[in-house]
Amino acid sequence: MRGISRHWKLVLPLGVLVVLATVVVSTSFAASKAKTVRVAIMTDCKGGFGFGYEPDIGGAQAAFANYANGKVKNKKKPSAGMTGIRVGNTDVQIVGYGCGDDTVPTAVKETRRLMEQLKADVMVGPLSGDEAVYVANYAKKHPNKTFIIGTAGSQDPTLQIAPKNMFRYHGDGAQWNAGIGEIAYKKLGWRKAAIIMDDYSFGWTSGAGIIADFCAIGGKITKRVFPPLNTTDYSSYVQQLPAPGTVDGTFWVVGGTGTSAALTAYEQANGALKPSQHIGNLFFAFLGADKVVAPKVAGSYLGGFGTAPGLKTGQAKIYEKVVARWYPGLNGGNYADGFVYNYYNAAWALIQGLTVSNGQTGAALHAKMPKTLRSGYEVSDKGSVKLDANRQAIQDQYPLQLVKNADGSVAPVVIGYVPNVNQSFGGLFTKNSPAPGRTQPKCVKKKLPWQGKIKVVKNGIIYPTVIK
Amino acid sequence: MTRGPKAVTERAIGFGGLALALIAPLVFNAYWVDVILTQALIVGIAAASMIFLAAYGGMISLSQTMLMGAAGFMIGNMVTKGGAGGETKGLTLGWDPTLALVLALAGTTLLGVLLGAVAARSTGIYFLMITLTYSVVGFYFVGQVTVVSGFSGIANINSYTPPFVGDIVENRNRLYYIALGVAIAVYAFIRFVIRTPFGLSLQGLRDEPVRMSSLGYAVPLHRTLAFGLAAFMAALAGILLVWWQGQIAPGDIGLQATIDLLIVAVIGGLTRVEGAWVGALAFIVINNYIRDSWLTDLLDTVRIGGSFQTIIGLIFLVIVIVSPDGLMGAWDRLWGLRSGTDSGEGPSVTAIPAGEKLV
Repeated sequence: MRGISRHWKLVLPLGVLVVLATVVVSTSFAASKAKTVRVAIMTDCKGGFGFGYEPDIGGAQAAFANYANGKVKNKKKPSAGMTGIRVGNTDVQIVGYGCGDDTVPTAVKETRRLMEQLKADVMVGPLSGDEAVYVANYAKKHPNKTFIIGTAGSQDPTLQIAPKNMFRYHGDGAQWNAGIGEIAYKKLGWRKAAIIMDDYSFGWTSGAGIIADFCAIGGKITKRVFPPLNTTDYSSYVQQLPAPGTVDGTFWVVGGTGTSAALTAYEQANGALKPSQHIGNLFFAFLGADKVVAPKVAGSYLGGFGTAPGLKTGQAKIYEKVVARWYPGLNGGNYADGFVYNYYNAAWALIQGLTVSNGQTGAALHAKMPKTLRSGYEVSDKGSVKLDANRQAIQDQYPLQLVKNADGSVAPVVIGYVPNVNQSFGGLFTKNSPAPGRTQPKCVKKKLPWQGKIKVVKNGIIYPTVIK
Repeated sequence: MTRGPKAVTERAIGFGGLALALIAPLVFNAYWVDVILTQALIVGIAAASMIFLAAYGGMISLSQTMLMGAAGFMIGNMVTKGGAGGETKGLTLGWDPTLALVLALAGTTLLGVLLGAVAARSTGIYFLMITLTYSVVGFYFVGQVTVVSGFSGIANINSYTPPFVGDIVENRNRLYYIALGVAIAVYAFIRFVIRTPFGLSLQGLRDEPVRMSSLGYAVPLHRTLAFGLAAFMAALAGILLVWWQGQIAPGDIGLQATIDLLIVAVIGGLTRVEGAWVGALAFIVINNYIRDSWLTDLLDTVRIGGSFQTIIGLIFLVIVIVSPDGLMGAWDRLWGLRSGTDSGEGPSVTAIPAGEKLV
């Protein structure tokens, strides 16, 4: 009996190991079916931008529903999934949604899960700046996979790193701030300003756009302050900013859940915020900021997200109608939010690429990805965004102002139109220039392609006059 | 001395597991080898350093993740190259990878000895707090001092490896076998150390520090050296981590990562070194597969809601309630129930008598 007992004690654990190995091997051979393109949507479900999860997925899937026959499972919850996507004769399957938290370590794990475990051919995403830097490096080492950035705005992925299998159909964080420095200089009379910006890739890139634009026309940045992303108590960082009166104003590049906390800390230190002394980037009005942040700084100007809320063009209306048709009320009905818009355009570009490549992925798809895209808010070049040699969008940009509505709510309104903003800012940013950082770019006066050419926009209509 | 059935079974499982690990690239798919198993080996090494301190020194250190990261950041800053087409973050010193490897291991071990010298004079909850402080300081240091890292971290470290390591970007099985070799070496090293006079006195001062002190043993010195040894092991894990994921960022050593490593050690069992790899494999498999959509669907269907972290938290809770000394403790207890005796090797569950001596 004892011998049998010992025998079983040896066999049982080994048996468990064999069963485990068999299960793993069998799942590993469950390879993708022929002619099915596997797509992963990488976004954040945690961290400072976790609330972008459903808007991102909804934006991408609205394009699949409208242009590729996708069947929406739940109109109120995009992450419930989508079936039946078909491009030409090719089935497209969404194999998974990435759940990042704006940090690199999670992006590493999620990217590998999506691209290697779930065997995605194409990634639509990621959402955040540092994630995109990692994904760009990953893309370099996986040339047969395709990466279409969702709405991440760091500069490096398409300039310093620039893998050939990575595409971005929207501007980077710097492009989204084109024109805002000139508006500060001309409309508010700022000459000296401070800037507070999140201490990571997107914060640096977004801040770089403001610094480059403001300094180019003759402004001076006298102080740069860098709170870490996801800081909760900004009081020590606000204390580092020059007091009101010693500079003409402060540029704010503090994002995610931190914007409101940072502004509150400033109010506590320096009294009520004067709109004419504060300019923000997209975080003043988007990503849910319209409810919490915007009322604090009603009247202020801000950079944008490559979108134009309220723009009265046919193309813009079509875009908004498409999203509203498949996911009504997505992102609180704010479809002119880069979270929705940029993911939508990424997926739409993929559909066009797959159509021309006949469902082929890898190099064939890379060669056939569209060089232009008739994005909703594009006006120049007959309403098309263009990709540059690094597969980075040259897009129209719309500086905004926060305006109080009759019902007391505050919303961003387009006040300017900056056509054809490219990533280089007139040669300031190049492949060999240092990526934006705490000390980059330097504050230099120079001629920018759009300087003095920002057109006035009123009530959603672009006028031929320029902002003075 | 004859071995009991438990020891024989454990040995059989050990050798069976080792044999399976050796042929893993033939049995498992590339994703499992590269992501699940390699990661489990690396995290297991870091957890082993934590369990070594807990099981044999009576010290639960929350610094191991930070020390792991220290080695990663050191080698990242030393090996990467800047300039046109190069890396943009960190010091980008461009040193020889072999030299950098040695310096990172030595530097982290020295850091461990220095930090250990301060922490070793405290015990219990105070030791825990001091090591947690180290972890938080490390996180903010690399996050705030952008010259050495910044929030974005340092990328492409695995493109710069010593010649004897070779290309681990393309040949991922090579990295798997390196991690396996290091894991085996670390396990053997711990088994060796605990049998040396140093290891025996370390266990003595774990159980009776006052008595050991009165016998003339330098308690803080022993603890400091143990901390240094654990730092060396954590450094090995850190080097492997940056080779595996290619880069390192402050998030790798943040509070979440620190807690994750503690969970790995607790799931595995803080009393036996083998638990490090058992816990790491369990944690990584759960963490990986629990994110799949079927689970979200299930959660929606049964209207629980929440995320995979909720599930991991619940699993952790169940393990801690059912078996406070983790999966290895459950295994030991199972044998105790069946035979009424414990003939296993290594410290048994009862080797650490009181909870307050562990913590």
